[in-house]
Amino acid sequence: MIEQLPILNLVLLLTTALMIPFTQKISFKTTKLVGFTVLLTVLVSTLFILLHVQSEGAFYYHLGGYPSTIGIEFYVSILSAFFTLFVIALGTLIYVYSTRDIEHDVYAQDYGRYYTLLFILLFSMLGIVYTNDLFNTYVFMEILSITTCSIISIKRSKKNYTAAFRYLMLNEVGSLSYLFGVALIYMVTGYLNIDLAAESIQQVWHLYPANIVIALGFMIIGVSIKAAIFPFHIWLPDAHSTAPSASSALLSSIVVKVYIIIMIKVLLRLIGIDILEALNIPVFLTIIAASGMLIGSIFALGQKDLKRMLGYSSIAQIGYIVLGISLMSSLGLTAALFHIVSHGMMKAALFLSAGAFIFLRNQRAINGFNGLGYQMPISMAVFSIAGLGMIGIPGTSGFISKFNLGVAILDANQWFLLVILIMSGVLNAMYYLPIMINAFLKDNPEKNRVMQFEKLPKVMLVPIVVLGLMIVLVGLFPNSIMSYIEAAVAMLLA
Amino acid sequence: MDDIILRTISRLIIPFIEIYGVFIILHGHVSPGGGFSGGAILGTSLILYTLVFGVEKAQKKFSHKVSDIAESGGILWFILIGLVGIFVTGYFLTNINAGFPIGEPGLLLSAGMIPLLMIGIGIKVASTMITLFHTVIEEAHHGSA
Repeated sequence: MIEQLPILNLVLLLTTALMIPFTQKISFKTTKLVGFTVLLTVLVSTLFILLHVQSEGAFYYHLGGYPSTIGIEFYVSILSAFFTLFVIALGTLIYVYSTRDIEHDVYAQDYGRYYTLLFILLFSMLGIVYTNDLFNTYVFMEILSITTCSIISIKRSKKNYTAAFRYLMLNEVGSLSYLFGVALIYMVTGYLNIDLAAESIQQVWHLYPANIVIALGFMIIGVSIKAAIFPFHIWLPDAHSTAPSASSALLSSIVVKVYIIIMIKVLLRLIGIDILEALNIPVFLTIIAASGMLIGSIFALGQKDLKRMLGYSSIAQIGYIVLGISLMSSLGLTAALFHIVSHGMMKAALFLSAGAFIFLRNQRAINGFNGLGYQMPISMAVFSIAGLGMIGIPGTSGFISKFNLGVAILDANQWFLLVILIMSGVLNAMYYLPIMINAFLKDNPEKNRVMQFEKLPKVMLVPIVVLGLMIVLVGLFPNSIMSYIEAAVAMLLA
Repeated sequence: MDDIILRTISRLIIPFIEIYGVFIILHGHVSPGGGFSGGAILGTSLILYTLVFGVEKAQKKFSHKVSDIAESGGILWFILIGLVGIFVTGYFLTNINAGFPIGEPGLLLSAGMIPLLMIGIGIKVASTMITLFHTVIEEAHHGSA
């Protein structure tokens, strides 16, 4: 029965998305409740899958009962079980938040459409993480990028249309580039299944090194465009800053990470470390990661709009993840996978609390935060926790990931990367700290320093607080997550 | 576009286009074509109707409500057939092993569930094409007004 859960999760999410257009006659509150129940069900079932995989080991699922040589296959390993749980857990929190925030951002007639898109988005992300088939990954990627584009443009303003169009064009280039890579791999191996293709690549790569390099180049560039890895990031700040706040959180904390999971699968499960090092791929990854870490932060320093700043900060943080991958060691990968989780939580907390400022005060400009800590103490506190996590202060999950990354860099004997890591940390502090200092230590324009209770609606406040608590808890007890991540890394490197 | 030649010719030709679309959908498993191409042809027939007779009349033939049902219904039908496989053999989208009749290869009634899936895809593609076209026209109307 457990073997059926992955496909049932997908079917449940897709069916919910399709049923929403029929619910126009029922009050929207009921629809939202049903959606929440569905997400909770999927959350529980992903949790079951994770526990099952942990005790019984990974399992395969063949769609239609066809063997893996011709059919589509799901591979539910500890990696996919853990990251689907991560996607759905954050997705549920953001869903709860969006149920109120959406009133501020989206026209009433688009509510249903927004949730249809949200569920298809979650559906395609789960599919990407579960699937063990290169072409099936491409299909889910297309679904994901088209829904992302619509969820950006749902606000119906000129800015959103521009951002969404730019997103669509660049991501289409990315998708096709990935597809071209898949075609070249298929040409060499004759398989689309990752396991089978990996086996034949191991045997024949000496004969076709150029083919493998070109295929890998196309695939890495395709995924990099979608994951906004520097220098392919130009769509991200516009898209993430104009989208409704809940969607920005979703895009920045989960969607971008899913593409990095594709990259990890392609690099480590399809090609394997030995071939990558023989072909000199890690050096290129290190260069783009290191430059992204610095340049994302430098751009973020110059921003005047809070959400744009958070967007550029994402580019820098994705650089950290890619740096961890490029070290090609078990320590580096552990740091990278841990940072996917920890950055997901921190960026979601930052975007959701930024959405709270916009919801209550219509405050987007970075220099307008004076004294906001007195009017919105809870969301500002969570914003500060997440911001401190981005800088890497002990006690937050960000510290653990930076610490692990530092250890991995030292283990690889590349001290100049450590310098870049520290410089990027200092730059992070330079743009996150002033906001916190202004909010808590400066007077607001009305000279009103009276502490108020937060006026934010409860459904918006609860996800923010939960995320803040999770950041601190993971920072204090990292081993709760680390055991899963280490098992996943052991699986990837085996 | 109020032209008697256009109206008469379209009235004559649209039924044939639709029959051809249905033919391609139903013969997807034995000849080139299938749900997508047949659905596109079906959609084209209604696009032609919209071009000749105007959006208002076309909306009466194929309103947004119908398109909502057709679009979601097409995929729900697909999922439903897939679920049969889970309950019978334990694999999503199982074909012959789940008890769909294999028929005689090469004939219309063969290949198990494939024709059933093709019908779902055809409905979905046809209604998507029409809805896209109508939405574009409506947006243009709003823009000029």
